[in-house]
Amino acid sequence: MPDLSPEALASLDEPAFRSCIREFLVANYPPALRNPPKRLHFRDTKPWYLTLSRAGWLAPGWPREWGGMGLSAARQLVMIEEFERHGCARFNDMGITMIGPLLIRFGTDAQKRFFLPKILSGEHIWCQGYSEPNAGSDLASLRTEAVLDGDHWALNGQKTWTTLATDANWIFLLVRTDRNAKQQQGISFLLVPMDLPGITVRPIINLDLHDEFCETFFDNVRVPRENLVGEINRGWSMAKALLGFERLLLGSPKQASYALARLRLLAERMGLADDPSFQDRYTRLRLDLADHKALYEDFAEQVRRGESLGADVSMLKVNQSELYQRITETMLEIAGENAGLLEPMGGNRELHPSGLFIQSRPTSIYGGTNEIQRNIIAKNVLELPG
Amino acid sequence: MDQAAEFRESLQMVRDSAAAVVPHGDLRRIRALRFTDPGFDRATWRQICDLGWPSLALPESEGGSGLGMRGFVVLAEELGAGLVPEPLVPAAMAARVLSGAPLADLLAGTSLVIPAWQERPNSLDPAADTTLRNGRLTGRKLFVPMAGGADFFLVSAREGLALVPREAPGVMLVLDRTQDGGTFGTITFDHAPATPFPGNLDRALEEAALATAAYLLGLSRRAFAITLDYLATRVQFGQPIASFQALRHRAADLKIQWELMRASVQSAAATLDLESDLPVCRAAVSRAKARAADTSLFITRQAIQLHGGIGYTDEADIGLFLRKAMVHANLYGSAPLHRTRYAALALEEHDA
Ligand SMILES: Cc1cc2nc3c(=O)[nH]c(=O)nc-3n(C[C@H](O)[C@H](O)[C@H](O)COP(=O)(O)OP(=O)(O)OC[C@H]3O[C@@H](n4cnc5c(N)ncnc54)[C@H](O)[C@@H]3O)c2cc1C
Repeated sequence: MPDLSPEALASLDEPAFRSCIREFLVANYPPALRNPPKRLHFRDTKPWYLTLSRAGWLAPGWPREWGGMGLSAARQLVMIEEFERHGCARFNDMGITMIGPLLIRFGTDAQKRFFLPKILSGEHIWCQGYSEPNAGSDLASLRTEAVLDGDHWALNGQKTWTTLATDANWIFLLVRTDRNAKQQQGISFLLVPMDLPGITVRPIINLDLHDEFCETFFDNVRVPRENLVGEINRGWSMAKALLGFERLLLGSPKQASYALARLRLLAERMGLADDPSFQDRYTRLRLDLADHKALYEDFAEQVRRGESLGADVSMLKVNQSELYQRITETMLEIAGENAGLLEPMGGNRELHPSGLFIQSRPTSIYGGTNEIQRNIIAKNVLELPG
Repeated sequence: MDQAAEFRESLQMVRDSAAAVVPHGDLRRIRALRFTDPGFDRATWRQICDLGWPSLALPESEGGSGLGMRGFVVLAEELGAGLVPEPLVPAAMAARVLSGAPLADLLAGTSLVIPAWQERPNSLDPAADTTLRNGRLTGRKLFVPMAGGADFFLVSAREGLALVPREAPGVMLVLDRTQDGGTFGTITFDHAPATPFPGNLDRALEEAALATAAYLLGLSRRAFAITLDYLATRVQFGQPIASFQALRHRAADLKIQWELMRASVQSAAATLDLESDLPVCRAAVSRAKARAADTSLFITRQAIQLHGGIGYTDEADIGLFLRKAMVHANLYGSAPLHRTRYAALALEEHDA
């Protein structure tokens, strides 16, 4: 067994690094979890999570001092590519991609020492509680409220669309802590264990007929005072920084590269691989993906240098989601009647055009809709008047 | 009243009569039937037969309404608007070629005949490998809609058409579920006893493709209407989201695309009624079906997007329209197939 520690990997050149990852996946990734037709729950992905954890491979982007791999953006991309090629399932990654980076930047030493190792060990599984029934695009109008009562916060309200809340034992929340301040200025960032009395989670069946997101209710929940991150009433700016990470994540070429490989397989199955009009469409999508990767690398490199992301990261999210959708729309178009099948074609999980098509729909909704991203680009990147 | 006005009035009566089966604003029946067997309701099917819909497109001399395809697309549009799962389009296809007692039984609602013609995905070719020899049928048919509810299959073979009871020996039916809650049947015939039937499916296939385009037109209309309602009522940033210019422009674009689809479907229906030349009819159908496939998916995708998170739930009705479009867009030929066919028909440049 070669040395696969992050230190050893860092010394490899790219081809060696790539083949190292491939070998690792072949040797360690549970075959039954390849190309899952739906998003998996933690009960299914836990063994894989723990395998990555033991190898020190769970957090490619975190600095090494906190147990990450400290990889360059280019190397992170190689990992993404190889994971997607192998058909690795997405696991419950909110801790790794969202709350970890947030705490590394804004958390107290005590918070970092308490939470970061528990994310890496799989002891804490996180979900994100921002959206509410009446606060979606207009997130700053959120009404879930935390009122200080001695050394606890009394928490009341409702979150919705909370992805995989049934798997999580911790939730990070945006809550109102000052009713009288201007909208954005009365919001704080709160970390809440899901097993506290007064928390109820109701799964919602999504368009993919899967219990992936939930409604989460808080009824007089008492949360320890020290679970606030950063300063009180300063949650909005932290959340914005975090949205940068989220948009980088959503802008990663993961989904589009996965879908493109499946489009190719589907075209072969449909006898279209050599069809000139398909070739042209496919090549266009391939080039779209290659160029997207180049743009993604620029942003990911910025993060690695420790710079914070600007509003322009919205471009990545818009472009990735819409590319992913164009690919799945092409799948539907070329699949003939198979496009309507509920299950994968012939039981082959890699040939499931209708499933991927449906799963690609919400990528232009979650993480801030693409309409909102375009508003942000117009206002904060282009600084258009009005 | 002149003849044209009278004809328009008759079409409006067809449209209004659809309300008997298409509940306004209530999709409970549709939801309840999803993922059940056979995926539609037999009592409603009999009601549809009582209304004379399977023969609506036939000439009056054959028991039809005399409204032709112009009447039938109006009806199919309304059924699409209500996501009606009863298999009118395949049954009307059978009615086009049947005669005598089998036709009478089909129209009376006592025996449902579903055509089984397709042997390859994304194909409009009914004359393939299935054989009919000495009254025995052997072959395999794919993507037969609602096959689990059929009493008879009308099967295309090299030698011609044949009727086969679903329960006949040598008939094996495997059902795959579809995203809209219905099924596709794969039927294997192994020396199944069959009754030969004269005629071919050429014309019937064109009518089914066009009726499917009309069904997509209707479901897109309703999905768009639901979405406009949502834009008017959903409030973000202190105002109805319909007030945001990005969404107003989107809605305007959807309207333009829907009207193009409508014009295409209706003009194709007129072509089928007035033209006897098959290539001319085929070109018109391909034009309408290619557009209906693309536009119905465009409109239903956008409908989800404009609903935000709630659009991605199974609880919200809007998703039912997307799922229906996903299944019907490629029935009787996908958009690429119809574009290719249109080009191959090599009509004159002006595309009259
Ligand atoms: C699959 C999925 C998973 C999710 N997971 C989570 C999660 O884990 N945690 C969480 O907190 N949230 C989650 N969300 C919620 C997501 O962030 C919201 O759905 C999103 O922010 C949009 O809010 P909304 O659904 O209320 O839509 P609305 O804000 O009501 O938007 C409806 C439509 O109006 C448009 N619109 C609104 N305002 C404007 C404007 N000013 N200009 C132009 N167009 C506008 C939108 O773009 C959209 O098309 C998830 C959503 C989905 C679909």
